[in-house]
Amino acid sequence: MTGMTFQMIFLAFFGAAAVWFGVVVFRTHSMVRSALALLFSQTAIGAMFLVMQAEFLGVLQIMMMATEMSVMAIFMVMFMMDPGGMGAMDMTHQKRLSLWAGGIGLLSALLLVWLPDWGPVAMSVPSAQQQTEDLGRELLGRSMFIFQSAGLTILTAMVAATMVAIVPNAEQRK
Amino acid sequence: MILELMIALSVGAGLFGVGLYGALSQTNLVMIIMGVELILAAALVNLVAFWRYLHPDEPAGQMFVLIIMAVMAVEMAVGFAIAIARFRVRGSVEMEEARELKG
Repeated sequence: MTGMTFQMIFLAFFGAAAVWFGVVVFRTHSMVRSALALLFSQTAIGAMFLVMQAEFLGVLQIMMMATEMSVMAIFMVMFMMDPGGMGAMDMTHQKRLSLWAGGIGLLSALLLVWLPDWGPVAMSVPSAQQQTEDLGRELLGRSMFIFQSAGLTILTAMVAATMVAIVPNAEQRK
Repeated sequence: MILELMIALSVGAGLFGVGLYGALSQTNLVMIIMGVELILAAALVNLVAFWRYLHPDEPAGQMFVLIIMAVMAVEMAVGFAIAIARFRVRGSVEMEEARELKG
């Protein structure tokens, strides 16, 4: 078997895992299990990146999502009425509409994937070291403005999130 | 070789469908954020697949992935801040009880 066949098998395996754990997120009643399923889904996506030879992005995805989902699990336990899912509460609404919207979204995306001719496909990629070097040069060169804008957006979001979340003092309440 | 691209893009389509269903069907704000995370993850998979199989020599493809990751972090931070504020005022983050937000 060639390297490409292996790539296809691993892509299909991790892809199926990512979608399956995505489904589990909304099927389980336990909120902690939901957060863990999302973590597994995002990790499978990170593994897909590694299979697609994007080493830096794969490792970044796994590390970032592990932290993000741990934070999410804590918030789940804090804010849910029934975090353990023992009461088997129904936490859904407009189920039929959502199923239709999800189904139509999935089908139209699949049509967009399978109908067009994507043209010639690249066989080889630069080495991991070369990729990281190219990405660094891209971020600090041609795309610097976009990258800095993203940084500024994150800073603004941090300030905004803190301002929304803190308890207003008595003077501000007046 | 084109099959690998198709598989990756189909996974993206699957994640998008599941995320859309979740974001629309859940009543809890944190679960809605999870649905949006899955939709953004679909965008990530598509971007990496396009970079790998169509333009591997173009680092701008990877740069877009970093931007989407930043969007995911921002979305979570702001979403949770709203959840905290809402929980403090109403004692719940159930969106069924937030009908006053409807335009």
